Amino acid sequence: MKIITTLIAAMLFSTLFYNQNIGLNLTLFSLLTIIVLGISNFEKLKLRNTMILMSLYVLTAAFVFINHSALSIIANCAVFFSLVGSFSESKSSMYVKWLNGIYSSIAGMFHRNFEADTETKKVAWHQNIDVLHTVKIIVIPLIVVIVFAVLYKNGNPIFESIIEAINFDFINVQWVLFCVLGYYLFSNIVIPVKVQPATDTDLAKGNELFSKEPLDIPTLKKEKQLGTILLGLLNALIVLYIISDIAFLMSNNNFAASVLSNQVHNGINALIASIIFAIIIILYFFRGNLNFFEGNKTLKNLSYIWIFLNAFLVVLIIIKNAQYIDSFGLTYKRIGVYIYLFMTMAGLITTFFKVFKIQNLWFLFRKNVSIAFFLLVTCGLVNWDYLITDYNITYADSIDINYLIDLSDNNAIILHEKKDRMALKPNQSERINVKYNNYLTDLRTANWQELSYDNLKITEENTDYEYTR
Amino acid sequence: MNIPGNIAKSSLLATLIFWGIGLTEGAELFAIALMFISYIPIFLSCSLVILATICPFFWLAETEKFNNKQVFRMYFPYYAIICFAICMYGIFSNTREMFSIGFFVAVFITTMQSWIWFAKETSA
Repeated sequence: MKIITTLIAAMLFSTLFYNQNIGLNLTLFSLLTIIVLGISNFEKLKLRNTMILMSLYVLTAAFVFINHSALSIIANCAVFFSLVGSFSESKSSMYVKWLNGIYSSIAGMFHRNFEADTETKKVAWHQNIDVLHTVKIIVIPLIVVIVFAVLYKNGNPIFESIIEAINFDFINVQWVLFCVLGYYLFSNIVIPVKVQPATDTDLAKGNELFSKEPLDIPTLKKEKQLGTILLGLLNALIVLYIISDIAFLMSNNNFAASVLSNQVHNGINALIASIIFAIIIILYFFRGNLNFFEGNKTLKNLSYIWIFLNAFLVVLIIIKNAQYIDSFGLTYKRIGVYIYLFMTMAGLITTFFKVFKIQNLWFLFRKNVSIAFFLLVTCGLVNWDYLITDYNITYADSIDINYLIDLSDNNAIILHEKKDRMALKPNQSERINVKYNNYLTDLRTANWQELSYDNLKITEENTDYEYTR
Repeated sequence: MNIPGNIAKSSLLATLIFWGIGLTEGAELFAIALMFISYIPIFLSCSLVILATICPFFWLAETEKFNNKQVFRMYFPYYAIICFAICMYGIFSNTREMFSIGFFVAVFITTMQSWIWFAKETSA
């Protein structure tokens, strides 16, 4: 059953991807993957983690078709590896799921081959057939006959004409090779494998921190003293920095682009340094028995204040970035700042919970990797080029038109539709038209495998459509 | 460890894969002659790769308490992932070149199979 499923999936894989660009094919491939994994691992389908990842996989697959952006494709691939990893071991952490998913996808067949042989288990269809002998009696005579046929071809014109009359042109060898690639991929994931040492270690490590008895009270007291002084001084310093920053923000509302840019970038640099220090210091002091020392209340409170003040610093950068975007529009870098700030905030909140609930380093790592993963999936659901173009044309005080033209084709239609709202130079208008027409050409000449949601949007009403290449 | 046997088998496998993919765009008599000669450079490449990147894992990690099967389970996954990444990079930086695709596919499959031969050989 598994072999038949794999063979059908391999042929569909080749039909979907051979000589095609990404589009509807990746969406269909995702559904095919779920079917193949479901057939081979039916009992694992009911697990909660696997069901969540499967839903995310379907969602990202749909958004590959709708958005047709690089980020949606990356998000889809990330969920693919997580899902395969979840079929390997659903209870493992997200990063171990990725590791298992990647390993299964690229070398699962080799791993199973090794395990089957070392455990003296043979796959059912191997039991009754001497595979090596079968391969020998087919491949060796075939190669020898072909070599001799090619040799004899040059020695006799009649024989040459007979050989040349044999025509295998109807077979597309590269399509067949693509089938083999598909077969290899589906054979790998049909029974996902694990990176055993990493998975076992991950499953054995919990999130909680335990005290190492007995508590060395004098040393803990000294550590507490050092931590209190250090965090007290750092809190005083960051308060001073925040006050000066607020004063700067309130001093003038009309900043030049360069000033705002410098402010955002310097603020980010300060934030990076501050938060790295914050987390390292907190992790150092709360690495062990200080968590269980009764006199640690002051140090804990100072840590909470330090985390809160760093979070406030994040809010200040958000305000600066918002002002920057309000005046000069959205760009990928400015959106990237928001994403960084979001991750920073998540890092601070998880650090707070690490101290508050007495958790270990694995807790921080697991939670933050999971948050990053869900953020990637969420970002993959947004058509950023469309959003940037629409926002900048509608709201931004000044627009960098060349930047918008240089974005991917996802904004070609909206850019063309709203070009009358912008003050364009002649060459910019021409570039927008060329981009639009080229995009329409691509959409109309796409095969069914390459279709995207934009194909459904274009109609015969696009009257100014003309071939430019 | 049967290193010569492993290298010989790996070279043969690599030659078959390399030419099997490389010749999908059409075969000439000259190419068939080249196929036999190419076994020599492929043998040298295989020897180099196996001796430099696979054998050290078994030489360094294998102990009385840590047999080859465990060496395989511990290091093979990471080796496979890194090898795959390098081969994919090689393929994508040489697009449309059927022989380069053949080369990198041969490298990947041969190294994977070579690991299994080493691990099986000693675990038997």
